[in-house]
Amino acid sequence: MSARDRILGRVREALREKDSVEHPGNFEGWRPKTPRSPVDGLVHLLEAAGGEVVHQPNLKAATSWLVTFCGDFDSSAVGESVPEALRPPVPVATPDIAPLGVSVARGAVAETGSLIMDARDGRRAQLLVPTHVVFLRVEHVYATLREALLDMSDDLPSAIGLHSGPSKSADIGQILVKGVHGPGRLVAVLIGGDE
Amino acid sequence: MSFSGPTNYRREAAKAIRDKPEVRDSVTAATRTFDAHRVHAWGQIDADRWRDWARDVKTHVLTHLDEYLEQAERQLTSNGARVHWAESADDALTILGEIVREHGVKRVVKAKSMLSEELGVNRHLEGLGVHVRETDLGEYIIQLLDEPPSHIVGPAIHRSVDDCRKLFHERLGTPLDADPDELAAAARDALRAEFLAADLGISGANFLAADSGTIALIENEGNIRLSTSLPRVHVAFVGIEKIVPRLEDVSAFLQLTSRAATGQPIGNFVSLIQGPRRSDEVDGPEEVHVVLVDNGRTSLLADEAAWEALRCVRCGACLNICPVYRQTGGHPYGWTYSGPIGAIIAPGMLGLKEALPLPHASSLCGACVDVCPVRIPIPELLVHWREKAVEQGLTPRVETVGLKAYAKLARRPGLFSAAGAVLRRVPLGLGGRALPVLGGWMQERSAPKSSEKSFLQMWKEGIE
Repeated sequence: MSARDRILGRVREALREKDSVEHPGNFEGWRPKTPRSPVDGLVHLLEAAGGEVVHQPNLKAATSWLVTFCGDFDSSAVGESVPEALRPPVPVATPDIAPLGVSVARGAVAETGSLIMDARDGRRAQLLVPTHVVFLRVEHVYATLREALLDMSDDLPSAIGLHSGPSKSADIGQILVKGVHGPGRLVAVLIGGDE
Repeated sequence: MSFSGPTNYRREAAKAIRDKPEVRDSVTAATRTFDAHRVHAWGQIDADRWRDWARDVKTHVLTHLDEYLEQAERQLTSNGARVHWAESADDALTILGEIVREHGVKRVVKAKSMLSEELGVNRHLEGLGVHVRETDLGEYIIQLLDEPPSHIVGPAIHRSVDDCRKLFHERLGTPLDADPDELAAAARDALRAEFLAADLGISGANFLAADSGTIALIENEGNIRLSTSLPRVHVAFVGIEKIVPRLEDVSAFLQLTSRAATGQPIGNFVSLIQGPRRSDEVDGPEEVHVVLVDNGRTSLLADEAAWEALRCVRCGACLNICPVYRQTGGHPYGWTYSGPIGAIIAPGMLGLKEALPLPHASSLCGACVDVCPVRIPIPELLVHWREKAVEQGLTPRVETVGLKAYAKLARRPGLFSAAGAVLRRVPLGLGGRALPVLGGWMQERSAPKSSEKSFLQMWKEGIE
């Protein structure tokens, strides 16, 4: 008999005298009604968690914003799904040495203030850079995490990262520090509203 | 350094309070902050309904655990992950050792995992000649200090900023007056090199969704994402009770656990891992191994009452609110899981005799049950284990004899009042500690001053 069979056997033995309990059904996210729209909710939580949020009405405006923003950086790592218009106008560097990383989020979640990062975009550019710029189309904002996961469930990559703020820690004497391992600066650039 | 086991709890707790009063200050400050954040975060949701739902999902999973384990195994396998089953810590370590050998692993980075602490992963790897580095900042601090974690969520909360300054000065060369930002930057640099050089990353799991085979991990630093993304092999140790039926259910548990642990809507980084790197991906591990670990969990599941403790999501809320835990932090408990939750799972997982002092490490004030996100009836289960200890004759003989003598005495009013008169004249403050039963109580407390008159006398004379 294998370890697997012995463990499953012990589980069944342990459950023999216990009544089966039904699943209570879907999680409805019970909370007082929030007056915020999903986009406003996302912005509120991202900023509360220490992230920066920029809103650009269309792709052209986002491109010009990026040109200005990149003035402070001499190179950048770039995610696989970043379109030509959003590629930073600086030399490309590998994520382990780049001071900046640019990615595109697959979506975002309003109730948790999370950007949804797909492994197909390249994980290193999302994680190793000190400053992480993430582009997001406003129409890709889900109200709840449950909706987002249900919507993505038939197209899951090897890993999804939910990024809801910069890297932080309070492990040294309960004092908050940013940028411990992941990006210490997270800039979400929302695009849309006026095409 | 690893834990020595719970049997010396009383002695170790007394020693901690006497010799390290600063630990109480650090732990109390940290846990009060955690708890205040939880209170605030629960105020923003209908926490009672969230908790009822979470309790019911977890209870449902436990009563169908065999089916969900099989489903998770099937799904993980079809995602390309390799699933292993470990009955004991030794089994889990043997499985890890085989993976290490197969891949010629020399360097390991670890994401914070209480299960890996429970299994003794670091010591085992060091024994195999493998360099292993904890990458969570708190875990890194205690690894350098050669100490075990003292809290489920904040492993180094017993250490002050000054302790960290001294440690990092010695080990990383930072100035003695460095601020926390400088200290964290030095740790980041040291650990970044470890991430880039590691062959293998080890993590635990907060949840495992059976329907999608997803391992869910919550954190704030990004070290878990790095540990599970950079090395070419990822090994996840998963306790068999970590299963949740559906990925959509995980969406709720991620939020409830974050709110209970640190008061955040969700940790700043969440990893949802299905398996190894796919052909259309540019990075990520080539192999993902999931080790499903029993190590006492099926024994706990078999208990008629304490099985409910397997709902635990390891948020640490019961530690944060516990007036007993706050005095000492986790070390005196002598085991990976301290505080109220540790005290009710230890007897089921380690054996009651091995864990016995822990169910007594509580005043039964009940604060823990009020904060548990999955509504584990912790005080009831503490009493459950105390009763079992008496049934099994595990309490000290003198206590049993003493209580029987008291019962006889209490049935004979004349003798009772005579014995009371004698006891009122015993100088408890001087020799009380030598007495049976009462003496144990007085080891860590001041003796009460005896009243001049018995209650009965006062009653007869008329109590104001």
